Amino acid sequence: MWKWIQRQASPKVFYGTCSRLIPWFFWPFISLLLVGLYWSLVVSPADYQQGDGYRIIFIHVPSAILSMMIYAIMAIAGGIGLIWQIKMAEVVAKVSAPIGAAFTIIALTSGAVWGKPMWGAWWVWDARLTSELILLFLYLAYMSLNSAFDNPRTAAKSSSILAIVGLINLPIIHYSVKWWNTLHQGYSVGTGGLKDPDMQIALAIMFLASIFLYALLVSIKARTEVLIREQNSRWVKEEVSGVVL
Amino acid sequence: MTMVEYFSFLPYGKYAFYVWLAYGISALTVITLFINAKRNHKRAILSLKNKFSINQ
Repeated sequence: MWKWIQRQASPKVFYGTCSRLIPWFFWPFISLLLVGLYWSLVVSPADYQQGDGYRIIFIHVPSAILSMMIYAIMAIAGGIGLIWQIKMAEVVAKVSAPIGAAFTIIALTSGAVWGKPMWGAWWVWDARLTSELILLFLYLAYMSLNSAFDNPRTAAKSSSILAIVGLINLPIIHYSVKWWNTLHQGYSVGTGGLKDPDMQIALAIMFLASIFLYALLVSIKARTEVLIREQNSRWVKEEVSGVVL
Repeated sequence: MTMVEYFSFLPYGKYAFYVWLAYGISALTVITLFINAKRNHKRAILSLKNKFSINQ
């Protein structure tokens, strides 16, 4: 296992691993998504207070968790790149940023669309919402800093430091509903917030589907990034000439 | 007639507009991400193919 992980530091090996893993991420994602959507929209009963409006939770909560998880992965991968000079970790960090930003946007917009009928407002400057918005800005800052350098190694170094400093925002988002008594409700998972077993199953399946989606997108994007970075090596030349478009 | 009333014929009645709007935005974001990733990969391969054929 450790040998296998070590070998992934080689661009050629990593490229091959990503190519092989893509179908293993794609098909579970599609099947989990279909089952999850069915469970969320059909099987789960209506809520006693919110009626059918609560169904937005099945995309809101998984994307919000993913937005934070991806940020942690991005910062850790960036840190590994900084400390051990592993280029493939830099690649993972770089390609994770736009995916994480997209999940943050989904979390914010689905929250806003739920907030309108339930709170009566699309947006309030609540602690949870504000800290999640800062997470989006951190992703955008990371992406623009990363694209500001011509040399990918220099870009990875400076943007990784930004990502690591930004880690401080994750516990703030997580505990914001405990620390500050504002509008956003407390935890839905693990604390009895969501009680119906069908609702819990639907949420779990949608969460798993989101993880596979992230893994799928990372493997597709990482392949592109590796090809561009390693374009002067012989294996890329062979790989590219072998592809029929 | 408001949007909420207009879309109330869909499943989930008075919440239909909000539920489907949220799911729609999410689907659109995910599809955009996916197509973008695929297209970027194709473009990279094309431009590298070009570069290698010029150098030969």
